[in-house]
Amino acid sequence: MADKHELLPGTLDLLVLRVLTRGELHGWGITNKLEQLSKSALQVDEGSLYPSLYRMEDKGWIEAEWKLTENNRRAKYYTLTRAGRKQLETEEKLWNRTSAIMAMVVPAT
Amino acid sequence: MNPLRRLARRFRFLFRRDRVETEMAEEMRFHLEQRAADLAAEGLPDAEARYAAQRRFGNAGVLRERARDTWGWGWLERALKDLRFALRQLAGNPGFAVLAIVTLVLGIGANTAMFGMIQTILFKPLPYPASDQLVRLYRATPQNHNGHIAPADFLDFQRASTGLGEVAAYTPANASLSEPGHPAEMAYAGRITANLFALLGLPPQLGRSFRPDEETPGRDRVVILSQRVWLKRYGGKPAIIGRTLRIDGEPHQVVGVMPATFNDWRHLGMIDFFRPLAFTPEQAADRRGPLLRVVLRRSPTRTLADVAGFVTDFGSRLAKDFPEANAASSWRAELLPNTIAGKSAWPMFNMMIALSGLVLLIACSNLANLLLARTMARAREFAVRGALGASRLQLLRPLVAESLLLSLLGGAGAVLFSLWFRDYMAVRSVGENGEGVMMEIGWPLFGWAFAASLVTAVAFGLAPALFALRLDLNSTLKSGGRGVLGGRGHQRFRQALIVGQFAVAMTLLAAAGVQIGGLQELNNRRTGWSSEHLVTGTILLPAATYADADKINAFQHLTLEQLTALPGVASASISSFTPFLTWPDTRRFVVEGRNRPEPGKEPAASVNSVSPGYFDAYGTRVLAGRAFDARDTAQAPKVFIVSELTARALFGTANPIGQRLTQVTDRNPRSGEIVGVVADVEPADTDLNLVPSQIYQPMAQEPRRMNEIAVRTTGVAPSVLVDSIRTTMARLDPDLPVRRLQHADLTVERTNYQVAVGRDIFAGMAVLGLGLAALGIYGVIARTMAQRTGEFAIRLALGATLGNITRLVLASGVKLALIGSILGLLGGIGACRLLASMNPGMHMNSTAVLIGTMLLLIAVALLACWLPARRAGKVDAMSVLRAE
Repeated sequence: MADKHELLPGTLDLLVLRVLTRGELHGWGITNKLEQLSKSALQVDEGSLYPSLYRMEDKGWIEAEWKLTENNRRAKYYTLTRAGRKQLETEEKLWNRTSAIMAMVVPAT
Repeated sequence: MNPLRRLARRFRFLFRRDRVETEMAEEMRFHLEQRAADLAAEGLPDAEARYAAQRRFGNAGVLRERARDTWGWGWLERALKDLRFALRQLAGNPGFAVLAIVTLVLGIGANTAMFGMIQTILFKPLPYPASDQLVRLYRATPQNHNGHIAPADFLDFQRASTGLGEVAAYTPANASLSEPGHPAEMAYAGRITANLFALLGLPPQLGRSFRPDEETPGRDRVVILSQRVWLKRYGGKPAIIGRTLRIDGEPHQVVGVMPATFNDWRHLGMIDFFRPLAFTPEQAADRRGPLLRVVLRRSPTRTLADVAGFVTDFGSRLAKDFPEANAASSWRAELLPNTIAGKSAWPMFNMMIALSGLVLLIACSNLANLLLARTMARAREFAVRGALGASRLQLLRPLVAESLLLSLLGGAGAVLFSLWFRDYMAVRSVGENGEGVMMEIGWPLFGWAFAASLVTAVAFGLAPALFALRLDLNSTLKSGGRGVLGGRGHQRFRQALIVGQFAVAMTLLAAAGVQIGGLQELNNRRTGWSSEHLVTGTILLPAATYADADKINAFQHLTLEQLTALPGVASASISSFTPFLTWPDTRRFVVEGRNRPEPGKEPAASVNSVSPGYFDAYGTRVLAGRAFDARDTAQAPKVFIVSELTARALFGTANPIGQRLTQVTDRNPRSGEIVGVVADVEPADTDLNLVPSQIYQPMAQEPRRMNEIAVRTTGVAPSVLVDSIRTTMARLDPDLPVRRLQHADLTVERTNYQVAVGRDIFAGMAVLGLGLAALGIYGVIARTMAQRTGEFAIRLALGATLGNITRLVLASGVKLALIGSILGLLGGIGACRLLASMNPGMHMNSTAVLIGTMLLLIAVALLACWLPARRAGKVDAMSVLRAE
């Protein structure tokens, strides 16, 4: 296993929104996707995804719907809303700016 | 997102929580199972795969908690949880709960009831539309700021004020009401100008108002009934319109019935029926008799200042044009809603609110003490919880929740208490004519109860909570399971509460004490007369049957003859007033042969017209000269008898007998000789318009229609004679009702019933305050006792006697009560002074009351301390010390 990496606070939302741009997913699916994309480098309590999801649902960035999986199990699927896309844009801009600034200040090793 | 949809979803989370929770759990379970399945596929055994999945997932409970917080109902859930916890705490300690709630209910209840009563009396609008346009006119004289207005002046004003608005007048004019089959009844009646009801904006509910042409003598035999009389006497049948009633022995036709709302005692009083105000030419020219109450509805184009200015100018014009009657008087206008009966009682109401506030204060400090003790007893629990990492907020919440819950229950109880108070007052405070304390239970009252309960929650919920937070964890834990003695600070705080309670109770008791004493003095005041074996009653001779002086004289002569002839009667008299009520007839006199003072500055005296036998019947001593007798007929020379005070004021030490007085009137000045001097009498009511000088004249020389009968019995109880007096009177004239024919003591007491209602309220609050203070000191001493058991055991073991211990405990309690009482003395003196200045007609001896109050307080404190102290003596030293 690669080195585990702690998630920077406040970035989970951004990652989830990003993952959801490719289409609807359930919580488990989002976890898998994140693992896959980060090549298992991220160290997160998997469960902490859920409060984050509910919060974004409450804010109206994502919407949820109960559907059946390929294996015929009930699961809650999340989709990005229009407000969610806008939020993603804002957060990406913010992230890019932050990381650019960080890159300027902190020399690459 | 649409905020509405967001709100809707939040409510879904609130109200369909079970479903949401299930979904949340299902979603997480799905995740866990998938992870476990993945791990199992990697080769882990099933059980281990499940554990590993859970480890990677984290604490599902905490996560769900965090999710719930997202939806914003966490605070509500926590609040409900706190409340549930508080409920359980209270239920687990019913003794404490009942004590706390009862204390609160009485404290807030007394306060809320006072608020409800005063708020209704003072602020409930009068039943007249646009009442801010209504103005009441007064003629102020040096004696009477709120004087009434003479007919001629009224008529002048009415003519002069066109364009300013409309003017109406009314006057109370009691009358006898009789019809076949009913006993005659003396009714409170009024005479009004035809436009009064229209002007006030409250037309009769049945029939019509008076017509202007009915304002002439002879055409004025029409009557409008109040709803109350219509219902009570005529069964509320609409057929009453057009019926003929006998009023003052003359037939009158009923033309209307007023609506119930009209009987508002705060303005017109409780009037049974109205008749038109019809002036004879002689009356219309009268500028002397201040008879009329005048109201004006200003036209909307004129301001109140316009009206006030006009009225003042009119008054000064009158003073210039008719100095004889008006030299010392001025006119003023006041907004009608400000003149209602209750407004004059402002200081009394303030006093009641203040006193009920004091009761609440005692209740609060009692509760602070109770809660503090409870918190102290749980100190170890708090310390443990604090040590385990509970935040201050978490420690505070249940305490605040508990006091909030208590005060909510207390507030609800206070509303119930107010309901009871209203019903009680509806019975207790209602006078002869249905006037009484008004109290509406509505939003203002609920608001007050809740506000009071909230403030109380802060006052007594916060104190113990703050103490709990200041606990030193370490020492509390080390002090073992005994609970905490409480540091010096806590002790002192509790002692301060007790001292404060006693100080406040002292003030309350002193206020109630002077009120009780003052009323008692009033009811027992028999200055210059005696009520022993005395029956009194009032008759009103109707003008129709007793048209002139001769007829009145003849009737009075016959009445006295027959009454004196009754077995068991020592003496009988007829007079225009009794000695125990203020004589409303004030006149001015000059001594013949002296320079006449300026008009309006002549010596004034209250005048009573009395029959021979008056001084015998009432037991007023004749100090010099003679009483009136059969000599003093209408034709005989005019004579006067003066009271001692009058004699001294007019003649100093010179002999007044044989001096001559002239009564100042504009029409026929009469001069008469002083033939006697009698003792001063002091009325037993609280009338403020009292002129202390008294002058008597023979009834025969100025016969009056309003008659007070007095019969002194001998050898028979007064109550036995009441029936035979009534029968005698009915035989003399069946149309003639005798009102309040009873023992004079009863009449005096009845007169002061409003003062008695006030006294009851004061006394009730004092009893509440005293009881709460006693409970407070009892509780503190009992608790201190329990905490010091160990110390007492050691003392006993070292050779102290039981008496020593009991004395120790008693002394500690009584010391507090004593300090409190002494501090409260200041408040008590203040309250007494205030009450005395509010009731100038009452003698309020505060020194005796203050001493008595203090003794009572100390006695109560002794008793409250002695009960727990007695138990101190029973400490079994050995077993207590072994338990250490």
